[in-house]
Amino acid sequence: MPSAGLEITGLTHSFGATRAVDDLDLMVGAGEIVGLVGRNGAGKTTTMRAVMGILRPDDGQIRWRQRRVTDPDRLRFGYMPEERGLYLQMGVLEQVAYFGRLHGMDRSWALRAARDLLRRLGLEGREGDKLVALSHGNQQRVQLAVALVHQPELLVLDEAFAGLDPSAVDTLSAVLRDEARRPSAVFFSSHQLEIVERLCDRVVILERGRVLASGTLAELQARTPRRLRVKVGGGARWIPTAAGVSVVEEDARGAVLALDAGVDAQVVLREALTAGPVETFAIEEGTLADVYRGLVSP
Amino acid sequence: MSGFRTMALVAGREIVERLRSRPMWIMTILTAVLLAALIIVPPLVMQRTGPVAVALVGAEAQALEPELSRGAAAARVNLRLVHLAGDAEARVAVSAGTVAAAVELTGDAASITVKRSVAPAVQGLVQAVASQAHERQVLAAAGVPEAVTRSALAPVAVTVRSLQPVPRTNTARVIAALVAGYLLVYSILAYSASVAIGVAQEKTSRTAEVLLATVRPSQLMAGKVLGIGAAGLGQMAIAVAAGLLANTLVKGVEIPGTVARVLPSILIWFVLGYALYAAASAAAGALVSRSEEVGSATAPLQVVLIAALGLVYAVTFRPDTWWTVLLSLLPPFTPVLMPARMAIGLVPWWQVGVGVLVMVAAIILVVRVAARIYASSLVQGGGRISWGAAFLRRRGA
Repeated sequence: MPSAGLEITGLTHSFGATRAVDDLDLMVGAGEIVGLVGRNGAGKTTTMRAVMGILRPDDGQIRWRQRRVTDPDRLRFGYMPEERGLYLQMGVLEQVAYFGRLHGMDRSWALRAARDLLRRLGLEGREGDKLVALSHGNQQRVQLAVALVHQPELLVLDEAFAGLDPSAVDTLSAVLRDEARRPSAVFFSSHQLEIVERLCDRVVILERGRVLASGTLAELQARTPRRLRVKVGGGARWIPTAAGVSVVEEDARGAVLALDAGVDAQVVLREALTAGPVETFAIEEGTLADVYRGLVSP
Repeated sequence: MSGFRTMALVAGREIVERLRSRPMWIMTILTAVLLAALIIVPPLVMQRTGPVAVALVGAEAQALEPELSRGAAAARVNLRLVHLAGDAEARVAVSAGTVAAAVELTGDAASITVKRSVAPAVQGLVQAVASQAHERQVLAAAGVPEAVTRSALAPVAVTVRSLQPVPRTNTARVIAALVAGYLLVYSILAYSASVAIGVAQEKTSRTAEVLLATVRPSQLMAGKVLGIGAAGLGQMAIAVAAGLLANTLVKGVEIPGTVARVLPSILIWFVLGYALYAAASAAAGALVSRSEEVGSATAPLQVVLIAALGLVYAVTFRPDTWWTVLLSLLPPFTPVLMPARMAIGLVPWWQVGVGVLVMVAAIILVVRVAARIYASSLVQGGGRISWGAAFLRRRGA
């Protein structure tokens, strides 16, 4: 487990009669990228807003480096909210530098950092333009620059990849990996599970304001039934009969079988061999999407 | 980072935004020109009412010149006396308008020839002086010694003792009061609306959420109010400077010292009035869910300010009744009515002091309530929030 960065314990918050977050525990270590996934209304945004001090939770503790998080701590956090928003009539460089200064940088330092970052994000030559003159994708890059300009120790990105084109996704992925190397902690939510799977050291799945599961991808995969892909040749359609084995899907490449805990794959292999020549017999690694679908009821 | 630095950064951004705005400069120049015009034009118009020319026709009437001059000076009537030989000449002069009236004396009758009518003051003066001359003649004919006649006809000095101060409401003072009222209402309205619009834009564009991750709501609100207020104060200072310059230019015509006294005090009343209305406007701006709702959210504040402007008229006519004094000490009206009363004159210093204290107290209260509403409503989704719900809600609830 990496050294303590952000620790959330017992976080609880309601909007009227609706409990958005319910006794939530979560940790993001220094140098770690943690992905938060869950359906709309699962409590992702509320958790992130509580971390950033935008809302005061009803209960629970948020700690940064083993101390209760304070406003000065938050100056070293970077934030990109789900609903993006910046001053449309303000110049790009001026705007990024302004947010840098709000985070405590002096003017010349902020301008230098803003210029470097805009170059890294592919916005060289657009520094003097008003934000409104930029395409939606480029406005997103400026939003990211605002979150990064002060070299935050913790980066909190809500729906980090929403609305990004593939090249912007690559840029942002590279930036997040660089940030985690510095070593800042990165904490982001996304509905794009394949990106979360590719980038994150750990994943936290939220459901109805609670942590449904969390861990590395391998740990999460271990919690779901093992899957086997089996193709039996000879033209006959084979359906397994062993207890604890079910067919998930079937196509030209064979059948995908889900095995309950404790079922021996060798038993399945022996049964398949009795039906005909086994052309394919492979353990299928479940994707995060599979894990998610396995855990979260529709 | 200190809260003060954050506030200064927010305020600085607002000031720069306004300095770059062309409409802001156009409004600044227009206000300055308008104020200067309001000070220059009335005296020029009043200048036309110079001395009244009165012709004395014939030797008998001309003999009255010393008494008429003395009487005119005593009665503060501005007369210019000319001599004419006969009635025909007098008629021509009156018809042509070179003289306003021609006075003729024949025996014990006097006549005044005018085009249509003459100022009652002039008529009364001629009447008094002619009667006196007649009485002197009758008494002399009866053998009364000259010294007795003089003593008998010497005017009795009458001093008027007012139990209550008399408002010297001359036109220039009324104009000064109205100009102060309009200028204050207009600028408080314009700049507090600017605050409401700015807050609503930050909320509806979701910039507020990015800001609130770094800046406390109170710092954000204070910075915005201070920045826009500083720009407003700068605009007012330019207008006041133009007004004072105009006042110096027309000096010596008929301008009272009132303008020179009232104009600079307007800046102080602007600061107080703006602080009160801008804080409330910041809260109003935070309640909306769409920019178009700003107008209806700030409407109650605008109604109060417009009502204050209406009351300025009442105050200029009755500046020292108990109810105008009371109204000028009620915080929503104080920043407009107190300077208007000061322009008319007659405001005891203790009332000005109480007015300032009441304003400061009201500002502290309104800022506290507004900051609470602002903080609880700024990242609130959904539709328009009511004042009551916003006040009762916790931040983020």
